[in-house]
Amino acid sequence: LSSWLPQMVPFRGSHWQSSLLGLRASLLMRAQPKKKKKVDVKREQAQKDRMKKKIKKLEKAAPEMIPIEDFIAPLKYSDNSRVRSLPPLSFEETERRVLLMKKWCLFKQKQDKAEKQAIQTLVAAQQEALKELRLESEELYQAAIRRDEGLFPYEREGPSYSPPLPGYDPPEGKCVDITKVYTQ
Amino acid sequence: MFPGTSGGRGARRERGGNMAAPVSVMAASARWGRRFGTAAAPRPWRLFGAMCLLRPPRITQPLEKEEEEMAALMAQIELEKSQYSDHEIRKLQEEEQLRRRKESAYDDEDEAPGKTVIMAQDLEDKWEQKLLQFKAAPRITDADKNNDRMSLNRKLDSNLMLLVKQKIGNQQLWLLPQVEWQPGETLRGTAERAMAMFLGDRIQAKVLGNAPHGIYKYKYPRAIRTEDTVGAKVFFFKAFLQSSDLSQAELKEDHLWVAKDELGDYLKLEYLKKVNRFLLDL
Repeated sequence: LSSWLPQMVPFRGSHWQSSLLGLRASLLMRAQPKKKKKVDVKREQAQKDRMKKKIKKLEKAAPEMIPIEDFIAPLKYSDNSRVRSLPPLSFEETERRVLLMKKWCLFKQKQDKAEKQAIQTLVAAQQEALKELRLESEELYQAAIRRDEGLFPYEREGPSYSPPLPGYDPPEGKCVDITKVYTQ
Repeated sequence: MFPGTSGGRGARRERGGNMAAPVSVMAASARWGRRFGTAAAPRPWRLFGAMCLLRPPRITQPLEKEEEEMAALMAQIELEKSQYSDHEIRKLQEEEQLRRRKESAYDDEDEAPGKTVIMAQDLEDKWEQKLLQFKAAPRITDADKNNDRMSLNRKLDSNLMLLVKQKIGNQQLWLLPQVEWQPGETLRGTAERAMAMFLGDRIQAKVLGNAPHGIYKYKYPRAIRTEDTVGAKVFFFKAFLQSSDLSQAELKEDHLWVAKDELGDYLKLEYLKKVNRFLLDL
């Protein structure tokens, strides 16, 4: 075997061939793209069409409603074992409540009226100022009426119960948001 | 018509004699304005831009009596309509167990030792302790107690506005900072310049729009009046102070931060009336 020249066995050395006799067959088997192309193209086209039809069917169906988690009572509260046991309200208590509600109604009505009146005076004062300005000079008036683009959106922190404590070191921690997000 | 004019002039002369302060009588000025309009120069009024700088409140206002009663009632109704929460159920069960253990007197000794069970009541006590340890900043500050009107830490639950002492004519008056309008700038620019003049450039204030919120019109006393200038119109603009740190500012010493009800101590009556119109009663 060692005396054989390498040229005598030309195809054995290459890795494309596994058997000496089946030369043609092995090459053709492995080199797939060299097969007939039309059938493949047709098959692929048919597959794509089927997928598109499925997608269209899914899209035509109405989208699933996103459940509102607040309106669904969890099952563990459905049995009545959690009902609070309190003594029934006395007559005086109900009377007091009704009278308080009426007083509150009146209080809120007065508050609302006062607010609306205040807003009206504000607007009236501004209209008066603009009228006087117009009498003065038209260009200043036009400059005043122009919309202020930088005004909105305006963000401001509202008042809290107690003022900020100087030198307060808030405790460390990370807030992880675990709300479920639904996509349609 | 003649008796009317002489009467009007006579009356004004008196007033001009008594007060050197600017006279603003809206009806009289309107009448005179109409008569002057026919004869005088097109712009007899000098324009001023004034800035009303407001420091928004930092804490909530105390509740009224009705509001407190209502809040208590609402809490009570909410409690009555609610059901037991997990924590409350746990607490009830543990109380039951404790009671049973005491009654049955050491029947289940083998359960208790070795395990230290944290009861819901212990948790509540622990939370209570933690709350008591925390001390919030006081709502009524030192500046409130001393009535130091120059500091910004005074009435934290209401709007404070800036008043400065300015020389008008030959008098020093407490006013909202104002400055004369120069041709070439808008009135809002004038107001911002007034603010910058008294508080420095680095002030962060949000001016609420281009339009003036109020106006104060007054005529000069007859002595100063010339053909060109009859009086002055002061246009007020409002701005919210955003930065609470004014260490770099305050070029002048006589400035004050006052709330709306204290304005009456410093401002003249007519001026005050006009200013009160565009300030919300907070």
